[in-house]
This record gives sequence, structure tokens and C-alpha cells, in this order.
Amino acid sequence: MKLNIRRINGGMAGRILRVDLSSKRISTEDTEKYAKRFIGGRAINSYILLHEMSPDTKWSDPENMLIFGVGCLVGTLAPGACRVSIDTKNAFNNGKGSANFGGDFGPELKYAGFDHVVIKGKAESPVYLWIHDGKVELRDAGFVWGRTTYETEEILQRELGDDRIKVASIGPAGENLVRGSCIIGDCAKAAGGSGVGCVMGSKKLKALAVRGHGSIKIAQPERYLAAVDAALRKIKDSPTSASWRTGIIESFYQPESKGWDFSVIVRNGQDEYWPVEKRKRLVDKNIGVPRYNKKFTACFSCPIGCMPFIEIGDGKYKGTKGTGYWVNSCWYSERFDVDDPAASIKFHILSNQLGLDGDMASVVLSWAFECYERGFLTKAETDGLELKWGNEDVMVKMVEKLAYREGIGDFLADGVKEASRKLGKGSERFAIHMKGQDSADPYRIRKGWGFGLATSPVAGRHLRGAVSTPEVSGPRDLAFLPTEYENIPEAVFWQAQAKEIEDMIGVCVYMGSLLGAHALEPSDYTELVNSAMGIGLTEEELTLMGRRSYNLEKAFNTIHTNFERKDDYPPERYMEEPVRSGPYAGHKCDKDRWDEMLDKFYELHGWDKRSGFQTRKCLIELGMEDVAKKLEGAGKLIVTAE
Amino acid sequence: MKIAIDIQACYGCRICELICSFHHGGVFSPELSSIKVARHNRTGQVEWSISSTCDSCKGEAQALCVKYCAYGALKEVK
Repeated sequence: MKLNIRRINGGMAGRILRVDLSSKRISTEDTEKYAKRFIGGRAINSYILLHEMSPDTKWSDPENMLIFGVGCLVGTLAPGACRVSIDTKNAFNNGKGSANFGGDFGPELKYAGFDHVVIKGKAESPVYLWIHDGKVELRDAGFVWGRTTYETEEILQRELGDDRIKVASIGPAGENLVRGSCIIGDCAKAAGGSGVGCVMGSKKLKALAVRGHGSIKIAQPERYLAAVDAALRKIKDSPTSASWRTGIIESFYQPESKGWDFSVIVRNGQDEYWPVEKRKRLVDKNIGVPRYNKKFTACFSCPIGCMPFIEIGDGKYKGTKGTGYWVNSCWYSERFDVDDPAASIKFHILSNQLGLDGDMASVVLSWAFECYERGFLTKAETDGLELKWGNEDVMVKMVEKLAYREGIGDFLADGVKEASRKLGKGSERFAIHMKGQDSADPYRIRKGWGFGLATSPVAGRHLRGAVSTPEVSGPRDLAFLPTEYENIPEAVFWQAQAKEIEDMIGVCVYMGSLLGAHALEPSDYTELVNSAMGIGLTEEELTLMGRRSYNLEKAFNTIHTNFERKDDYPPERYMEEPVRSGPYAGHKCDKDRWDEMLDKFYELHGWDKRSGFQTRKCLIELGMEDVAKKLEGAGKLIVTAE
Repeated sequence: MKIAIDIQACYGCRICELICSFHHGGVFSPELSSIKVARHNRTGQVEWSISSTCDSCKGEAQALCVKYCAYGALKEVK
């Protein structure tokens, strides 16, 4: 594929900022030469990582790069165009690390003049990056080191004298190099997974503070507004939009809701079903999590608005408040068999404040609870805490211990794979990770969810290909049943590709490919991109660019790790232990059916079925000769595929 | 006509800022917008203001911030 993009006339801020924390050198370059090949966002991040970083680099080395990339439509009126991709070496496995958040930070970065911030090196003492209207300063962050993400935002806004400053920061967890640390924007939007906050902590970079008074130009304004209008109409007319707005929980998580029994991990994966009475206690409008909702909020330019501001006004967690994502809150609790809604919220908000990714925290902590149940960990080894299922106080207490590496928290802080290696006793079998990274999701009932997780280029993350039901995921013209294997590879292939496009342009997945409105498709994105940037891509070309982006990540993993086909199977427990109870009791991941799905998935990509590696033919067709050459240099390019 | 807001209904998405700046300058820039909305992350509160540069979108059938508001929070009043 040869694209003929001569010039880009809109959409972008235009510059990439490069910061070396070791030398304190700051420079800029034009975005355009990268955008002509990869449009924007994560695709550009991935290209820079693949081409500029040595496979010998470890996640904690100064040479590791941490890249913030904002999509090409971010800062404009395109619905949900606010997403920021953060890419680096994965702190769990040294492969591709990638996380993503919404909110107001990305648009502000573009108004300040930058599409990407590429950070490498390591500061001698804590610093933060102050980016304002094209100016960039590295400043001492000693006065906010040790502070929560909430406090950091408040203090930096006061220090810099402007409460419109947008802040992305790490909390104590990232400072303490807890692997499952995230980067938090706007006090709530978590770039979770891959330990991106841990990488940021290793660089002693506390925060990025951003303020911009600039503007984003559009190449063809009238045409663009017409494309935006059409997109907004589709979202408004979507049958799932309205229910999503009321906070997901009502459309996705009520006991009577379709799919509700497909989506839980109970007691560290001992089951994928939770009794109705427990679930009702957690999610009921009057007594559950929703009773603490004060007000719904939306990310920048979002017409759906899925996040409530939550405040607990009574009980032992009184005073806990912040914007949160209810589904996550409930997911975390079920892992511990905790049906107390206030504790569920506390776990979630506290994780955000301390800069812990709740997914990662809940995996390693619930594994510790199971170790305690089995007698592999004793009270003497858990600092006197009783890690018993349903013990909400201990669940919450363990978040703090993990973030601050206190006692048992220190033992768990390097992730579940490492903790189980240290403990032994057979605990490795129920340590749930994909490719070394803690994995919080269910695999056994919804086959497309599990297959997307297992084949994700970022080690078990569901936004990279997982499909739920055909009503809210996958291509519109493909029939598949959530609990069956048929057509799942095709659905996951499409899903992962669509997400790559969304992260190139910075539009939230809830506008398009997964859940939410499930309204926008690649054809809509093509018109938005062409009119914003003044280019003439076909839908097929934009889709192929999504495949380019995916193949960049695949190549990074192949070159930087030993991952191959054998690493695309679900965690051991989910292949061996069936779901114990509920309507889907008996479901597990079947090895033979998984093999069939992998064969088909690799075939769709044009990859080698035996190894799972990319082929020369596939990469040449995508116009990625340079990537083929890199793989060839690593001895991992397949010339004759099986 | 003036613009009025139901602050409880406002989600703080700032779509109004974007369309307002597009009306004034043909670009997307909250700084050029007559209407300003701020969502405070630590309190959940939304604040708003409107400046004298608002022309109620002269020439349009309806003020664009009202037309584009996804949450029904804005309306035109006499």
C-alpha cells in the first residue's frame, strides 16, 4: 500500500515535543512527516518506539521512552475526540506497553501546540513538565512528590495560578515503582495497564501540566461540520446511547440486563458467576453504588457522558468522592466477593488517588486472598490482616499497602506472576496473567472477549480486540454468538483494527467500535479525517492504516520479547477449570477450538500459523518494508509461511 | 435573545465552547468561545460564564451552543 499524502492542512497541532530528562534537552520537530504515514495518536507512538529503541532496553532503563500521543481529531468537535495514547515498554514484560485516557488533557496539549510528547532519560530528582503555549519547562517536583493525584492537580494549579491547567500525574504507587501503576488525567481518567505509571515513576517524572490558548484549524471546515453533524446524529439515534448516558450500570450491569452474567470474575477467577442477591446489593439503584451518584459528567466533546461524580455522605467511607467508572468499581469488588457498594467505590477512588490501576491491583490482591484461603499465606505473612473473601475493610486496606509497598504490599508490588514465582507452592496455577501482565477480565463464557484478550498486542487488555455481543461490538454484518466460537476470529480481527483507527484519530471507542453508542464506523472516520486534514484517503486505505498500527505493535513484541503463538492462549486456570455455577457452569476455554481460532486469526492477518510471526508478504502489502527489515534483522521474519 | 444554562443538566463536555469558537473564528479553540464551561475534577461542580462577545449566533436559526448541546442544558431566553 502506497499512500499519496502530499500535505496535511488541518487537524494537527503540528509539532512533536521531545524531552530528555537526563540531559534536560528539549527539542521539537514537525508532526507531518509521521502523520503522512500513520495519521496520529498511537500509530505514531508505536512507530517511534519501534524505530528508536533497542531491544536490549528494559522498562526501567533511562533509554526507555514514554510517549504521549494525541489523535488527529482531538480538540475538534468530532464526538468523543479526546483520547490520548501513552506508549512505552511494558513494565510487566518489556514488550509493547500501551494505555489510553480521555478527559481534557489531550485537547489542552494540542491547544498548547503539541500532538505528541516523547520523553526519555531519567531525572536526578523529581520533576514535572510544564507545557504552555509552545513553551516547555522542566521544574522541580519535590513539593508534590508523595502526593496523591488529586493533591497534585490542586497544588500544581495553585502553583501555576490557573485552575484551567490540565494535569496528568502519577500517584505514590508510580513513585514506588508498583508495576500496576497508572497515569491519571483530570483526577479520574486512568491510563491503566502496562505499568505506564511505573515507567513514569522510574523516570522521576511526577506530572505533565498543560495549558494552551491556541486553536485547531480544519482543512475543509464546512465539509467537516457536515461530517460531525452526521456522526452526532448517528450517536443520538443509536438505541444504546441513552442508556449508556445514565452510567453504563443501568444498561450493562443490572441483573436483568442482557450479558450481565457474562462479565464477572469472582474470587480470583474461581467462578464467573455471582448470585443475583449479591449483585443486586452492589448495583441496585436505591441501595447500591448508584445511590452515591451526585452528577454525571462527560469527557471533552463527548455527547454520551458515562462517568458520574460520586460522593459517599455516610458510613465509614464518608467523604470519599471523585469521578469514577462504576462498572470497574463493581468488577473489582466481585474479585473479592465483596458486595458492599461503599467499599467498592472506596477501592476504586482510592486506586485513582494513589495512581494504581484498579484492574492490576484487583488481580494481584485477589490472588493473595486465594493464597490465604488455601493456607499458602498466613496471617503472620499478611501483616495480621485476614484476607478472607468478602472482607471489604481488608480489600480497601490492601490498596494502600500495595501503593506504598508496605509489608505484604511490597511482596505483591511486582505483579502476580512475580509474586507467585516467589511464593511457589503451586500458586502459579491460579496467578492470572497474560504474557506476564496481570489480567482482570473473564475469558471462559464470552469467547470473543477471551480471544481478544489473549491475542491483544498489549498483553491481555480488552480494548484491543475483545468483542462482547454483536449488538455492541464487532462488524455490523457479522453474526456471532457471545458464548460460541464461530466467527470469533473474524470479529476480533475487525474489532482490533477498528480500535487502532480510533486511537489514531483520538475518538473514544464508545462512539464507535465497542459498547456505548456503537454508532460510528470506519466510513464515518474516513470522512472526518479527510475533511479535517485535507487529504483523500479511501475507507479501505484508512482501514489498512489501522492494520499498519496493529502490525507495528506486533513487530515490537516479536523483536523485544520471546512471545509467539504459545503466548496467545488464555491463562492456565481458564483452560482447565470450568465456570462453577450459574447458567454457564461448565464453560471453559477449549484448547482445540482455540487452536482453530488462532489459525484463522493468523490467516486473516497474513501471519505464519506455526510461530504466529509476521510474514514478509503481509508487511510488504501494508507498505512496511522497513518493519520487515527490522524483523529480518532479528531473525523473526517469516518468508515462507505455514 | 440570551443564553441560559441549567447547570445541573450540564455534563461539562464543552461542546458549546467548540461550536462557539467555530462560529466566531472558523477554528476550534475554547479561548475564542464566548461561552466558557469548567468541570472541576475534585468537586464535580460545573461552572459557566458567557461574555459580551456572544452575538446569539446572528444569522443562524438557533444559537449554535443551544443547538449542539447534547444534554439539553442550554436554552435561549428573551
